Amino acid sequence: MRLFLSFVRCYSRITARDSVQSLLATSKYFGADNVPGTWSVLKRVKCISQEWDQSISWFGGNCRYISSEVSKHCNVGTIGHIDHGKTTLTAAITRISEIDGLGKFVSYEDIDRAPEERARGITINATHVEYSTSFRHYAHTDCPGHVDFIKNMISGTSQMDAAILVVAATDGVMPQTREHMLLAKQVGVEKMIVFINKADLVDEEVRELVEIEIRELLTDFGFDGISTPVIVGSALLALKGDSSEFGVPSVKKLLNALDTYIPSPSRDFTSPFVLPVDNAFTVPGRGTVVTGTLLKGTVKKNDEAELMGYDEKIKTSVGDIQVFKKSVPKAVAGENVGALLRGVKISSVHKGMMLCAFNSAVISNRFLAKIYFLSRSEGGRRKPVTSNYIQQLFSKTWSVACRVDLMEGVSMIMPGEHATVYLTLIKKMVFNPGQPFTLRENNITVATGIVIEVKPSVQVPKANLSKVAIG
Amino acid sequence: MAESWLREQAQAQGWEKATKLEGRPTSQGLVAVLVDVAGRNGSMVEVNCETDFVARNRAFQSVVEGISEACLKFIQGAPTSTIHPFTKVNLDVDQLKQLPSAKGSSLADEVALAIHTVGENIVIRRAVGFKAKEEDSDLFLSGYIHPTPLNNLVLGTPLLGRYGALVVLKDGKNHDKRELLGRQLCQHIVGMNPRKVGGEGDEPAKNPEDEHCLLLQEYLLDPSTTVGSYLTENGLSVLDFTRFECGEENGDLGKIPENTAVKATN
Repeated sequence: MRLFLSFVRCYSRITARDSVQSLLATSKYFGADNVPGTWSVLKRVKCISQEWDQSISWFGGNCRYISSEVSKHCNVGTIGHIDHGKTTLTAAITRISEIDGLGKFVSYEDIDRAPEERARGITINATHVEYSTSFRHYAHTDCPGHVDFIKNMISGTSQMDAAILVVAATDGVMPQTREHMLLAKQVGVEKMIVFINKADLVDEEVRELVEIEIRELLTDFGFDGISTPVIVGSALLALKGDSSEFGVPSVKKLLNALDTYIPSPSRDFTSPFVLPVDNAFTVPGRGTVVTGTLLKGTVKKNDEAELMGYDEKIKTSVGDIQVFKKSVPKAVAGENVGALLRGVKISSVHKGMMLCAFNSAVISNRFLAKIYFLSRSEGGRRKPVTSNYIQQLFSKTWSVACRVDLMEGVSMIMPGEHATVYLTLIKKMVFNPGQPFTLRENNITVATGIVIEVKPSVQVPKANLSKVAIG
Repeated sequence: MAESWLREQAQAQGWEKATKLEGRPTSQGLVAVLVDVAGRNGSMVEVNCETDFVARNRAFQSVVEGISEACLKFIQGAPTSTIHPFTKVNLDVDQLKQLPSAKGSSLADEVALAIHTVGENIVIRRAVGFKAKEEDSDLFLSGYIHPTPLNNLVLGTPLLGRYGALVVLKDGKNHDKRELLGRQLCQHIVGMNPRKVGGEGDEPAKNPEDEHCLLLQEYLLDPSTTVGSYLTENGLSVLDFTRFECGEENGDLGKIPENTAVKATN
């Protein structure tokens, strides 16, 4: 058993998921799967391999583990004044990552170019690099401007989980550091890590003063000024491979802070289940089956549910669940399922509807959203948008007519601008915060956006959106 | 004494930084529109910086406000034309920089200080103004900035944003809502980007989307009518306008059909 445990310890350093797989293979080899001590061994593995989001369910002696996709991924962005060394730091991180065999070095020049990229038709100035620690894989984004970060968020490609604020000790906090923190808040970042750069160019007193100033500012802006990790170092020294305190070790400290201070986003198993309907068909003799990938929660046989969308809210219950064409008693988020719905006719089901746990989801036709109107050069509109703007809204697998209304005090939105707006759909849909969408005029994308809040439904008189009373 | 020494030091540091950062591209910034309370004089300036983070920052914004005010003061002091009802004042950037600031130094000095504070290159790119004759009470100026500032439209204080418009109007009816109409017309100018006022000889464009003459354009706030018809209905006429879009390439200042630009003289 001791040999087995040390074997496990070695393996668990690689990745948590790999360790479980090899553990199970190994345990079979050692004949340990029926040995009473195995479950406690597995628990020990969990401690060794840090964060580990796997649930192992045993079905009559067979082990079928449902991977929650061990959260090996995190999105990080860098913010800070242009001359404070963001780019040098990013290059230094990739260099160290490459030396550790966990990434690929990207040079300063390559990062500095901040090429334009297109995401869903929008042009964003951003640089993306990737690197890994032994714990996690990171997608790192650096944008030159406030508007680029906002566009990145609105295009819905990824949510920033954390931000690294870079401040040079030689200058300290700048007036626009406030704007950097405001931006982080705007894009939903809750955890900030600070890197005080160019530390080798000033003395200890200055470094301490800068740290105090930053912590105060963090608190002012609603971040945790006390426990935010503040790492002091020199990106340039690290990039050159200098092994003194402010060189490579400081960047390693930064990576360690990323690993430990930023929580791993994980799949949601406990919320009421949500299944977006991709497809539906009739099984002769049994009834209507809907298929899709379970977005949230766990669905069990006989669960009460509602099929929602296009103004409909149909109560039903789940007759049978199939995963990989085999009947199962339950399915969890991430799995591709087929669910038999009791008492539902095939004609009632439409692509774009959602099957949700009974009484858990809301259907509405009015929402608050953040929207970006493509500029003329991106192929968008030439004229600004004023209120009562009606076009076709596309999201996931559905599209409905939608009316856009501007917030009070906003008179128009110019192409190339972003704003918070009210959306009114012609039919009630399940449209949740965080869900991205596009608006199209004559099949050309003119705007892209993301839902922020679901509002109470409004009356749409005679299916005429322009007559909706805006309160 | 210590204070003035400190100020000298700061100014010297400012100039040092300004020289260091000179030439760095400045694609971001703000446009400031300022019309005096009487509606007789108006200025519009564009000041650039390197990132939109700085453009949103209060320190930069107060420098832009100062430049806007200095500009208006200059226009207020400029001579009125004896022949024309209004004058369009085009300010030369070099002369702009020498204008006195509220603190007694020059605008160039204030900008250098700001460059040191925010660590980015800052450039006063351009400025323009209108001056209407005092006696002509049916002439008035309107200004507008987009996006609408939160502090609303307090006459006599600079408005900051990414787009600005200034317009000179003649009110034939003594309209009680003329300020509002003037602002709405400016909003149209910002949104629809006309190239000229338009007049007798101008034919409507084949595609309304391509219409460059202000009077022939579909009115932004009521596309069922043209700007020309809308103005006539309300007894107003446009004499001239100018539009700034922050960071735009050709810096089109809008054409003046009748007047000659008065160059800034010290």
